[in-house]
Amino acid sequence: MSISRRDFLLRSAGFVTVSAMVPRWSVTGARNFEESLGSAYPGRTLVVLELMGGNDGLNTVVPYTDNAYSQVRSRIGIPAGSILQLDSKLGLNGMIVNGGTKPAMGGLKALWDANRVALVEGIGYPNSSLSHFTSRDIWHTADPTLAQRNGWLGRFLDGYVGNNANPLVCAAVSNALPRTLLASKVSVPSFVSIATYSYSTDGAYPGDKSNQINTFVAEGADQYEIENTLEQVSVLSGLAISSSTTLQSVGNGYVAGGQYPAGSLGTGMQLIAQIINAGVGAQILYITFGGFDNHADEDNAGNNGHNGLLLTVSDSIKALFDDLDAHGKSHNVLLMTWSEFGRRVQDNASRGTDHGTSAPQFVVGNAVKPGIYGTAPSLTQLDANGNLLIQNDFRSYYGTILSDWLGADSSAILGQAWPNVGFLNKSYV
Amino acid sequence: MSINWTRDAAAHLLRRAGFGGTPAEIDALYAKGSVEAAVSSLVDYTSIDMTAYEASLAAKNYNLLQTGGIRQWFLDRMAFSPRPLEEKMTYLLNLWWTSGITKVRGVTLMLNQNKTMRQYATGKFDDYVVKISQDPAMLVWLDNWLSRNQRPNENYARELMELFTLGVSSGYTQTDVTEVARALTGWTLQGYTQMDNYNGATFVDNPAFHDNGSKTILGRTGLWTGSDAISIILNWSDSQGTKSGRWVAQKVWTFFADDNPPDYIVNQLGAVYDSSSHSLKEVLRAMFLSPDFYEPHTMKTWVRSPVEYAVAQVRMLEGTTDFSSAVNSLSGMGQPLFDPSDAKGWDWGTSWMNTGTVFSRASLANALASNRGTSGTRFDPNKLLAGRDASTADKVVDTLADRLNIADVAPDVRAAWINYMNANDDGSRGNYTGTTAQVDKKVRGLVHLMLTSPAFHLA
Repeated sequence: MSISRRDFLLRSAGFVTVSAMVPRWSVTGARNFEESLGSAYPGRTLVVLELMGGNDGLNTVVPYTDNAYSQVRSRIGIPAGSILQLDSKLGLNGMIVNGGTKPAMGGLKALWDANRVALVEGIGYPNSSLSHFTSRDIWHTADPTLAQRNGWLGRFLDGYVGNNANPLVCAAVSNALPRTLLASKVSVPSFVSIATYSYSTDGAYPGDKSNQINTFVAEGADQYEIENTLEQVSVLSGLAISSSTTLQSVGNGYVAGGQYPAGSLGTGMQLIAQIINAGVGAQILYITFGGFDNHADEDNAGNNGHNGLLLTVSDSIKALFDDLDAHGKSHNVLLMTWSEFGRRVQDNASRGTDHGTSAPQFVVGNAVKPGIYGTAPSLTQLDANGNLLIQNDFRSYYGTILSDWLGADSSAILGQAWPNVGFLNKSYV
Repeated sequence: MSINWTRDAAAHLLRRAGFGGTPAEIDALYAKGSVEAAVSSLVDYTSIDMTAYEASLAAKNYNLLQTGGIRQWFLDRMAFSPRPLEEKMTYLLNLWWTSGITKVRGVTLMLNQNKTMRQYATGKFDDYVVKISQDPAMLVWLDNWLSRNQRPNENYARELMELFTLGVSSGYTQTDVTEVARALTGWTLQGYTQMDNYNGATFVDNPAFHDNGSKTILGRTGLWTGSDAISIILNWSDSQGTKSGRWVAQKVWTFFADDNPPDYIVNQLGAVYDSSSHSLKEVLRAMFLSPDFYEPHTMKTWVRSPVEYAVAQVRMLEGTTDFSSAVNSLSGMGQPLFDPSDAKGWDWGTSWMNTGTVFSRASLANALASNRGTSGTRFDPNKLLAGRDASTADKVVDTLADRLNIADVAPDVRAAWINYMNANDDGSRGNYTGTTAQVDKKVRGLVHLMLTSPAFHLA
């Protein structure tokens, strides 16, 4: 009844041939992988956490000794007494949220203290778009010219896991499929829970269920020859059934080993831990968390204020690694964050911040070379729109992960070689 | 190039200008005799009497003080209003000029915004843009109510140009965003308080918050107000005409017709907008009368959104519903109506479809197909087969596929449905003859399979 990824590939061969006749995505030098090479590190998992809306980097990693900070953020800034210090210039947001007792980023600070965090400062790209949607597409595709259809990890999938029959080799813990994972040869499943991830049939006739499922799969089959909307939808039926079969097995015997916060991120991170714990060969797991477009009321004390969002993010990451540690599974896991941009240095009059450019991002795992990559951003040397300058191009950030964690040819995927930021231990095995 | 007015064309027009038709509705539209008459019957809808429908809707007593209730209310209108295009266009505005209850908090504000969209759905675009820019839910959603003359909030100004009227590639600059934000200061709210659950907010133009200085917007300098800024934006032109006209053309074509309209279509519809004082109704009419709208590559390419999926299945099966099952499944299908997660709302097209949403859609379809009770979402298999020869599997398959407008599936899909009808529980071949027991099991099962087939996800 279940359909293997290999069956999809056999059918998708025709799809690839025909689409070769239409203009290919073309970044100078980017390679169109004709053959999948196989992963260098098939046992490793990359967890991607997208912070949607544009995370305010200056209130996340705070330049707490810079006098300019207390001036431009006199209303919504993080006071020096609420900083979790990383070094003599930078510290994590340690505000107490919603009448609680924990500092917002205490979880991440604990991981930092355990030498499991690399902080990469000032990530962005030249001529940053201040549009959420353009900037998001640029980050998804790793292409500021937006000539690429597929995502940067989609291109990794095409190049390195296209021949992998495992339907959960890559998955999005989301109600949508992020463009980062859009590929030509690999279809990626999306789900938010195990319980709801199956094909419902008529409870009055349980004996008819397998007929229903077989017909459901048959409805989607053999329609791969030409690229059109119907075929894009048709590919999903068989993948849904096969990935469901695998996913239903990952809950068996799992007992949580971390304290996950309530809400979609905590729930999703726990599902990620279950999948990794089950050892079903997931190489890329992607999760999103929204609410960072803090144009107004950014400092409100509730869970939806920026400090509350950071508490959820930080606690979720900590819970994931606690859980993996408890199961002896953290060795082969790396987590990275991204967000479409940072925010304006000077706050606005509605206790919020408008769209900005660069921001810090976090890489968490045992394979990191812990520390800060880059320096505290200058709050006085700004671009024409009052935004931060760039220290690290996001393609350097991606490239470092592609080459040093995933073992991929990063310049083939990114179109050119980008300087390695150096935050991963190259000899980690 | 002229349009060949066929029954298929009528069915296509009903799927796009509305939410799909029953066989009788398709026949009636086809019987108008010409595409012009058919389009007019949809576009010139203000002459259609709403009294009976509004009374029946009111009698359903949906709880309009709760998000679930206004979802039911809007879904009901989309499914059963005698003015399908009015609801389809309101739905487009809901997707395009989105707002969300999580941030807005006042359910009444969300309902009132929906009513405003309906009121202006086929009017002059300028009137709509001013009204929606002063709409309390929108003022909260994109923060303009908090914008002040010192350090204005750019959120609404940016999306007004990027998402709503011009597009990100139209050529405005970050300076234009800042200047429009300055012009829009003062458009704020009074009465937006927790005391009445945030429902009592009304628009007010507060001069104390307005930046009275000189602004330069898209090259024009003056002491501009919010209304001035909107007028400048909507009349910003190049040699092809207004940029807002082309953006509107792009939006309506990609929503009603297909992705990536060719330039000549965008320019044609933009010219209609320009020559009709920015009339949305005339743009819609011109689009539905465009031969390109009826080209084969346009048909059956629109991915139904979750809302359209829920509405179309009830409509096309002549079902009965209070939409409670749809409301409960909207989040899982990826579209919690009135509650998007960011300013752009949801992406359209194939973005709706992934393995998780396929299963969520299957759950909704199963709730309909397997409901033998007397409440909730249900349909009558016997009613759909009445007057037809339903004694063999292939005849039932063809009748139901035609009803759901998916009779054009590949032969192997039709064969799979016929096999299903004839299959015993162990997979061996039996023989469907249309007994009462078989109808209850296999016709319901077939409807579920058809509703979850790739073909029915497209309109």
